[in-house]
Amino acid sequence: MNTESRATGHTVAPPEQSLGATLRRAAGMAALAVAIAWAWRGTGFEISRLGGSLAPLAEFLGRMAPPDLSALEVAAKSTAETLQIAVLGTFLAVILSIPPALLAAANLTPAWIHQPVRWVLALVRGIPLLLLALMFVAALGLGPVPGVLALAVHSIGMLAKFYADAFESARQGPIEALDSAGANWFQRVRYGVLTQVAPDLARDTLFRFELNLRESLVLGLVGAGGIGFYIQLYIRSFQYQRVATLTLVILVIVVLVEQGSVAIRRRLR
Amino acid sequence: MSDPVLRLRDLRVRYGSKSPVLDVAALEVAAGEVVCVIGPSGAGKTTLLRLANGFVSGERGQLEVLGSTVQFGPDRGPARRDRSLRRRVGFVFQGFNVVERASVFSNVLWGSLGRQRGLGALLGRFPESDRRLAMEAIAEVDLLEQTTQRVDTLSGGQQQRVGVARVIVQQPDLVLADEPVSSLDPVLAAEIVELLVGVARRHGNTLVMSLHLPALARRFADRVVGLRAGSVVWDGTSQSLDDRAIASIYGSEPPPSVAEVGP
Repeated sequence: MNTESRATGHTVAPPEQSLGATLRRAAGMAALAVAIAWAWRGTGFEISRLGGSLAPLAEFLGRMAPPDLSALEVAAKSTAETLQIAVLGTFLAVILSIPPALLAAANLTPAWIHQPVRWVLALVRGIPLLLLALMFVAALGLGPVPGVLALAVHSIGMLAKFYADAFESARQGPIEALDSAGANWFQRVRYGVLTQVAPDLARDTLFRFELNLRESLVLGLVGAGGIGFYIQLYIRSFQYQRVATLTLVILVIVVLVEQGSVAIRRRLR
Repeated sequence: MSDPVLRLRDLRVRYGSKSPVLDVAALEVAAGEVVCVIGPSGAGKTTLLRLANGFVSGERGQLEVLGSTVQFGPDRGPARRDRSLRRRVGFVFQGFNVVERASVFSNVLWGSLGRQRGLGALLGRFPESDRRLAMEAIAEVDLLEQTTQRVDTLSGGQQQRVGVARVIVQQPDLVLADEPVSSLDPVLAAEIVELLVGVARRHGNTLVMSLHLPALARRFADRVVGLRAGSVVWDGTSQSLDDRAIASIYGSEPPPSVAEVGP
């Protein structure tokens, strides 16, 4: 191979292969290898021992079969409660997310507002749902209400950030045009921003609802309502066939909601 | 003679520490004039128009728009232009800047936002008079058949017609148009420029428009201002804009299709 162009006869040198880039790539791969080795040793993970654990696993699954259908009524009731917690928690989260999202959007507020708001949202994202649920149960007692509140607060950290990102993705041109027509800040947000990003907001909200439905299962473990409460109750009392029924019911619900949500999200444009 | 609609004095605009993009000793536009600004790329046409609309602020000098004066200086930050003045200056954009997911009617109606106050307009309720005005504007730009269509289903030329109708509904005194046709083909470009000039004359607006085609300026403007490297190098009636004048504005760079444009 020569690098002489047939058309012009000029010789053009190919771009240089920098040593720095090669070294950086090698360093990156080495760091990744070290991290995996560290985790492997630390957890005592041994492939040879996995084979031996297959039998106890099969035995556990065997105790779940066949599902005890007498638990269907409990399953239906508590699944409904889980759905209610997810719906209401998501709804509250949407309401509570909009104001901080507007403040966190770089195209709507100056840096001294949107930067700190984004830090606070990151902090909120860092609080585990289980911790929030424990706090609300301690304050309000057992039942679905602390579950709803825990879910709402937990969702704000992510939802407000996603909303803010959506606001920022709005094209600046139309907003500038409305500004030029004399629109005030609220009018620019309503017509310039929200009109442009409405499908994104709907998609983010549906996605958060899916997450909330799945995450709300753990709320039952700390007495904050829903099907999770009965799952852990039956596990502790070794009623594995009932656990199987509840697990199957919640599995069906989660899959149905996800399919519905995906179908709706695909239609938004 | 009445006060000028637009007046620049000793005005300089600079982005960062580079050489000024606009350096105009004096420029005035009288009420009712149709002025076209031409010049090579980077001559400062867009900066001039965005300055006049308050999107860009100067480094020094004086800007007077519709009787309100701003003095730029080292100690003066860019003061946000007040709503009542923004309402009186309409702007037609190179990229149309319409809200693509919204209908033609909504986009045009939103030109009236500068007059709306209170919750009604935020809930989507507009005065009947403004809704009728929007329909008249849509008729004026010949888009009645597309009234309820989403703007992203329209062609570029039609989207710019929406932009023009939006400015009609705004009812401004001064209309600024920044390269409104540079993304359209020459025949369509001539149509839109003719529409804009017609709108300005029918509604008694002053129009300042930058164009990349000198032939269009010669055909439709009262007066042509030639910019080069940020300074006004030519200013005269469109009749006196001959090939020598065009050559002096564009320098060695030949202007795009001086020959003939449009039907």
